[in-house]
Amino acid sequence: MTDQLVMGPDTGPSTPAAPDREAAARRTARGRRWRRTAVLALGWVAIYAVWEATSWWFGSRLLPRPHEVLQSAIEIIETGNFVGDFSASVLKTFAGFGVAALVGAPIGYAMGRSRYWRAFFHDGVTIAGTIPAIVYAVMSLIVFGLSNLGPILAVALVSAPYVALNVAEGIRGVDNQLITMSEAFGRTPRQIRREVLVPTIVPFVFAAIRMCFAVAWKVEALTEVFGGRSGVGFQIRTEYQLYDISAVLAWMVLFIAFMLVIERLVLAKAESRLLAWRPEERGAAL
Amino acid sequence: MTTVSDQPTSASSTVGRRRSTTEIEQDTPQWRKVLTSDPAARVTSLLAFVLFWVVVSALFDRVPGPVAVWTSLVDEFSRGEVFGNFGSTLYRFGVGVALATVVGVAVGVLMGLSQLSRAFLESPVLVALSIPAIIWAFLTVMWFGFGDTGPIITTFLTSVPFVIVNVAQGVRGVSRDLRDMSATYDVPMGRRVRDLVLPAVTGYIAAGVRFAIIIGWNGVLLAEWFGGGGGVGYRARFWYDANRYAGFAAWVVLFVGFIVLLDRFVLDKAIQRSFRWRDAR
Repeated sequence: MTDQLVMGPDTGPSTPAAPDREAAARRTARGRRWRRTAVLALGWVAIYAVWEATSWWFGSRLLPRPHEVLQSAIEIIETGNFVGDFSASVLKTFAGFGVAALVGAPIGYAMGRSRYWRAFFHDGVTIAGTIPAIVYAVMSLIVFGLSNLGPILAVALVSAPYVALNVAEGIRGVDNQLITMSEAFGRTPRQIRREVLVPTIVPFVFAAIRMCFAVAWKVEALTEVFGGRSGVGFQIRTEYQLYDISAVLAWMVLFIAFMLVIERLVLAKAESRLLAWRPEERGAAL
Repeated sequence: MTTVSDQPTSASSTVGRRRSTTEIEQDTPQWRKVLTSDPAARVTSLLAFVLFWVVVSALFDRVPGPVAVWTSLVDEFSRGEVFGNFGSTLYRFGVGVALATVVGVAVGVLMGLSQLSRAFLESPVLVALSIPAIIWAFLTVMWFGFGDTGPIITTFLTSVPFVIVNVAQGVRGVSRDLRDMSATYDVPMGRRVRDLVLPAVTGYIAAGVRFAIIIGWNGVLLAEWFGGGGGVGYRARFWYDANRYAGFAAWVVLFVGFIVLLDRFVLDKAIQRSFRWRDAR
């Protein structure tokens, strides 16, 4: 009411000027958006320029020029053998995630629920998060030799601490009133676990997986570089041993693009689908 | 799962047997209290880890057991290979991380302060974030040969985007209200930077440097692994190539121990100190 009273006399005379001012504001906004897009494009141009300059500096044998890399990328796509390697790498990454979720989520659950298990796992989980990726890569090779299990183990080892920490954080953040209420209404601990605690974990597992996805596929590729039999890392190592640097970079560029697409499409989609029932809490969970 | 519901600290108990926490506390015998205390839990987890290691090394004959690793660690020390290699690695690592910090803070502040520079730098930083360390290691080995430069550049390139992202986030998080207020009350620029921007950003710088150190340590190891100019990574590779996994594991113990000690005793303290203004209640 007060708003209308205050605004009342003001809106009257300004109505003829309003569309004009609105149009001006829209123009400014459009101009600003335009400028932002232009600068964004300038950023890509700068990447291209730096690449060209560096390859001119080192010579195109040591750093192939962008169009050469593009050419070998097109060759790789045309021959069609990238599908097998890509799907091998992606499957291994997701298998590793599966193992990490299976191991990390219960650990995180125990850490969130009890002080004892928190003290028990805390040091190990934080230390595991600081161990360099190369250690995981080589250790999984030593354990499994040249097989597909090595990269899976490496991904699992890298991601499990993230999952555990995130789930522990999530369990500790569970609305205690909800638990008290369920107890007051005589729900069994098992029901509480299934209906209150586990649904709260799911978004945290997803947040953890999305958080460490960028790290995980790099570790997966690294393990394949050290000793894989298939996959993108294996191809990168093969091309490197042949000193075909433009093919190395082409595989890398394709892999990065592919992984960004997977992250944006698959993970984000799956997450929004699984978490559709809790629209407003999603922001808080991530 | 029984251990979870039996915990004296968890206030939840089912309707049937509701007791007060003090009652539960008094009921638990002394030996159980000792066994479930925090230090005991830590010791137990350490023991469990060693046991796990022994079991794994018994199952997979390629995995060296604790005793073998310990003897090769002692061997490596008595050969005098440890300190020289660690010295050259630390030099490369230190220079790389220092460069990354300086450049990262400068670029991050720029990105945090101006909309346009953020739009400009967004894509380069995104690209730099997604390039794996192994590619930088391969490239720098070819560009700079087997010297110090390759590992330094690899450390720098792998860690600088993380510093940039963190610092930019910190600068953007400086309270807009406080900035506007200090502008309204004509607070001099020097005081504004000293009392508002710096305290708000130091924590993010510290967090970014911590990331840089963890990522850069991996980068320097990789570059030395493939670069072969001495250093910790080179030595670890030497044992790996010789199929002497105990020697490799000894080096793993050393470089994991190094990063864990650095993280625990230096970085954590520094970060807590720099976030003091925020976490103090």
